[in-house]
Amino acid sequence: MNYVFHFGIVWDHWRDLADGAWLTVRLSAMAMVLGLGLSICTAYAKLSRVAPLRWLIGSYVEIIRNTPFLVQIFIIYFSLPALGLRLEANEAALVAMVVNFGAYGTEILRAGIEAVPKGQIEAARSLGLTRPQTFRFVILYPAVKVVFPALASQFILMMLGSSIVSAISAVELTAVTNSLQSTTFRAFEFYFVTTAIYLALALVFRAVLGGLYWFVFHRDRPA
Amino acid sequence: MQRFLVSIAVTLIVMLPVLVSAQGTQPQSTLDRILREKKIRITAEVTSPPFGILDKDGQPDGSEIATARQLAKDLGVEVEFVQVTAPNRIPALLAGKADVAISSLSITLDRAKTVMFANPHGALSIVITAPADTNIRSAADLKGKRVGLTRATLEEATVPKVAPEGTNIVFFDDIAATIQALLSGQVDAAGMSAFAAKSISDRNPDKKLENKFTVTTAYYSAVVRPGDFELLQWINTWVFINTQNGVLADIYKKYTGVDLPPLPRL
Repeated sequence: MNYVFHFGIVWDHWRDLADGAWLTVRLSAMAMVLGLGLSICTAYAKLSRVAPLRWLIGSYVEIIRNTPFLVQIFIIYFSLPALGLRLEANEAALVAMVVNFGAYGTEILRAGIEAVPKGQIEAARSLGLTRPQTFRFVILYPAVKVVFPALASQFILMMLGSSIVSAISAVELTAVTNSLQSTTFRAFEFYFVTTAIYLALALVFRAVLGGLYWFVFHRDRPA
Repeated sequence: MQRFLVSIAVTLIVMLPVLVSAQGTQPQSTLDRILREKKIRITAEVTSPPFGILDKDGQPDGSEIATARQLAKDLGVEVEFVQVTAPNRIPALLAGKADVAISSLSITLDRAKTVMFANPHGALSIVITAPADTNIRSAADLKGKRVGLTRATLEEATVPKVAPEGTNIVFFDDIAATIQALLSGQVDAAGMSAFAAKSISDRNPDKKLENKFTVTTAYYSAVVRPGDFELLQWINTWVFINTQNGVLADIYKKYTGVDLPPLPRL
């Protein structure tokens, strides 16, 4: 192998890479918050007594989970303008990530909700709590606690999947790397460093999510 | 004693591959390898009309594909196409996935630092194209507009230099995505070769696309890895012969509709 490594070239462009990584972090963080919110709403809607609503949410989940993320992004960015809705690249990326996470999050939360002992729910109802109150006070907390690791993994997957939004010109880390390697022809060096950056970001997000878990679920509860 | 003999034997056996290969380690040139294997691998960018497209049967076609087929035929070997998008043309060549890149790679000094260009076999111009009712007459009018460009192309290297401060340039990974962005209105204008612009406006007459101004013109040629001088010289000879006998001009005219301009030599 007679390839000469030029990692110095990557260092020359650290600012561009940092800007790209910052957009990745911002998009992922916003998508996590909005995606979780969406998942909670759709998981609640899936418990509804109104059959068409359950069916609607079920279709949304199945369609999103069984189609490629890249195709979903292309539809949101390239096809929606034909229907009158033109989104900027970053907006389209966020919408796509939230919609995508929502489908997976709904199923994860549904598993958590089913894990709540039925006795708790019956007790809540017989105490006079309405269905929304039962959901909010009795179901949601233990459900999220029990599936938190799965949710955290899905969050990280979505952050890594944000690299796909480079295809619609959102200038996140992968897009910056693609542009830089295509002008400097240092594909190996750039992709190696970007992989390391994604790894570092994933570890940071995991640490933050772990801290969040402790803060919400463990802090003032013994053991 | 026995131990000693066994260790000598093992050493010789282990060194055998090294001794054998040391006999004729003149590393064989890429051209020799291609002739021996009777196969040449050439890049095919099929999302770049009219240089590379997929015909109605899904097979690669286009002026550069036809050129590649002619080159392989004249070399007497079979061609294997390596599908690439614009940013992967040179990386695929450098990584050894392809032996030659024939995908409308314009001759630029930046690229020449990492690859070797053959004598040009075609020419193209880069234009800014936009719908008729978008008011752009020169580079200065790009200010405040969204302009779509494809990564790792001549337009990426030249348009940002002429675009004024305040132009919003967005980059896509292949020409098809840039074209989609223009057609769906996600960008106000796009930079691409004049031929690509013509083929899109022919296929989408309702969008009323027109070329606003020319950014630059360039010659393009086949590209090989640094060091493959035998292959480069053969390709240059091939371009010379086929310029004289008109074959290159016929291919060019067939796919672009335009006469091949006089081709200079490097």
